[in-house]
Amino acid sequence: MQFRNRGNHNRLRHRHSVHAPKGTISLTTLHEGDKGVVACFSGGFGLIRRLVEMGLTPGIEVKILRKCPFRGPVELEVRGVALALGYGVASKVFVKQPKAEANG
Amino acid sequence: MAKRLTIALAGNANVGKSAIFNQLTGLNQTVGNWPGKTVERAEGTLHFKGYTIRVIDLPGIYSLSTFSLEEIVSRDYIATENPDIIVNVVDASALERNLYFTLQLLELEAPVILDLNQVDFAAKKGIQINTEKLSETLGVPVAQTVATSGIGINELVSTVVAAVSGERKPKSAKLVYGEEIERRVQAIEKLVGTELPQLCSVYPARWIAIKLLERDVDVVGKLKNYESGKEILDYAESLGAELEKIHGEPPSIVLASERYSLASKIAKDATIIVTPPKISLEQKLDAITTHRILGYPILIGVVASIFALIFVGGSFLSSGLDSVFINLSTYIRGALSSLLPSAAVDLVNNGILSGIFAGITVALPYIVPFYIILALLEDSGYLPRAAFLMDNIMHKIGLHGKAFIPIMLGYGCSVPACIGCRIMETQRERFLTAFVVVLIPCAARTVVILGLVGRFIGLYAALALYAFNLVLVFALGRIAFKVLPGEPVGLIMEMPSYKMPSARNVILKTWSRTRDFIYVAFPIIIAGSVVIAALVSFGLLDAIVQAANPLMNGWLGLPAVTAIPLIFGVLRKELALVLLGDVLLSQGMVLRDLTNIQMIVFSLVIMIYIPCIATIAACKREFGWKKAIAITLIDVALALLIGGLAYRILSAF
Repeated sequence: MQFRNRGNHNRLRHRHSVHAPKGTISLTTLHEGDKGVVACFSGGFGLIRRLVEMGLTPGIEVKILRKCPFRGPVELEVRGVALALGYGVASKVFVKQPKAEANG
Repeated sequence: MAKRLTIALAGNANVGKSAIFNQLTGLNQTVGNWPGKTVERAEGTLHFKGYTIRVIDLPGIYSLSTFSLEEIVSRDYIATENPDIIVNVVDASALERNLYFTLQLLELEAPVILDLNQVDFAAKKGIQINTEKLSETLGVPVAQTVATSGIGINELVSTVVAAVSGERKPKSAKLVYGEEIERRVQAIEKLVGTELPQLCSVYPARWIAIKLLERDVDVVGKLKNYESGKEILDYAESLGAELEKIHGEPPSIVLASERYSLASKIAKDATIIVTPPKISLEQKLDAITTHRILGYPILIGVVASIFALIFVGGSFLSSGLDSVFINLSTYIRGALSSLLPSAAVDLVNNGILSGIFAGITVALPYIVPFYIILALLEDSGYLPRAAFLMDNIMHKIGLHGKAFIPIMLGYGCSVPACIGCRIMETQRERFLTAFVVVLIPCAARTVVILGLVGRFIGLYAALALYAFNLVLVFALGRIAFKVLPGEPVGLIMEMPSYKMPSARNVILKTWSRTRDFIYVAFPIIIAGSVVIAALVSFGLLDAIVQAANPLMNGWLGLPAVTAIPLIFGVLRKELALVLLGDVLLSQGMVLRDLTNIQMIVFSLVIMIYIPCIATIAACKREFGWKKAIAITLIDVALALLIGGLAYRILSAF
């Protein structure tokens, strides 16, 4: 399902992403202003636990506030708080995107 | 007689906890470390209506699990030291996220008072909180404050006193989790309550049950000391496995989600959204300063102007102080010589006094302004934005964006920079950052580089040295990152909103940090001065110069006497330049007589060779003797290697 928009543009977007579980995309593939619902994580238990404790629980909606270029960090809004995640961390968070927005 | 109380401030980072602490205690505070841990412990006292209240500022944390030293320190303190009240400072504009921590305090059945801080800022965002409703739901008293301007502080203390004196006893309302979790927690709680009465006298049975379900390493370890522990652990594990099967996630994640959903519900019920928020000045400022392109020139501008300011102002103040101290020292020498033998006068004058003077001429002109600006940057919220922008670059040396903060401090002074490495999450990250930070040319090294290379060769040559330093720092950082075992940690950082810093808070922060600097640096600067003065008066310095000759002259191509400024430079690096002039004069030379290559080699060695003695002391405090000595030896070896190579390479042209 993650290949449903297999355009040239999208291939570039997916270039760096960790292989996403079916039906989800990595946070780093979202654009500024996009929203997504946290689905799952990859990575060590310690990392996941820290993310969850900062409010990124499965099922919560997040909004991308800012992305730095060249695989830079991502700033997102979760539970009314702005949170900065390094690119490596953000690429391990997978979200589901509302369909209408995903194709936009 | 005054009644005594102990209260602890607990809460997330960036909620204005230290501002509350400063409002409560003013100048009556001491900052130190928790015993045996490199976690800052701030404590102060306050007198209020016949009460003497001891205030402990716990570290800013997001959770009471045991992933960081800060969390362990806080949890142990709350559970075992039994403070009379815990004031949970929360950011009123981010209630939901803050309540996650509050719920954990309530699990520990701690006597909590909730302090909604920054209510003015929340109001600006269109958020109003129904405190009565919140108080009723949580079962704890709720106070409201604006710490930066001191609003509500008196009422907060009154609430504390009222709660303790029994006028209004904090009684936790029972917070109930979802059915499937609650049932399992209660089952374990019952078993723990009957089987482990001893442990339950220290920790609440319900809390033990929750932690067992979460597979908390610390609590599981505690249970292993009990005979019936194994049975309970197995039972808790089987219930945890059931939860994991239902949710497909480890029980601790399930419980964290559960706490958050409860926090979310409580926050929603107690929050009244007044006006739809319009874009504020803070948000505009945020958009510009973290802009993907514009952010960088702004960052460079901010950092450059800070150091220009500190450097120009500092050297002006420093030279003024120097002349005052020279006069003072001559006067004292005259007064002492009638009382003591001349050897003792030398020791006092060149040792103790010049040590004190050296400390003051560094601390006052450079460190104090630097701390003021640092406090302004911290309180305004710019530092996390700088860290955000630099994350990408810091990853190249295996660190993340937060490491930029101590590195930036390093251009001012290595001592606060070393202590600033605490913002990194793991011990490995802290040491790596410190290793890099001591190589950054501090203000004192800048004095030498600009005063020698900048003045006699040209500014471009001085800048080239800085550029070389950056390359070196990156190369060494990368090597250290590859060599040191362990996994790199990624950036996870809250981005606080921009705020207007308060003068009171900035002054108090500057004061407590300056005092800390004096404690760390002064004794060792004075001791070092005495040792060197003793070397001089016993005539050992000449022997050292002779012994160092092959190294200085043969390997580095410098006049042998330059060993002296290098030795003294250990105490205070900017002193090396003055001394260099002095020792050259004794050889009938002036600074200008040095060749360009000699100037560059000397500056390179000064830049790299050893963290000054105060920095070594700071490293020792943060990482222990072994690592402090390792850093020192590596830097000395590196300086000699690079100095010698530079001499040979530059001579070839």
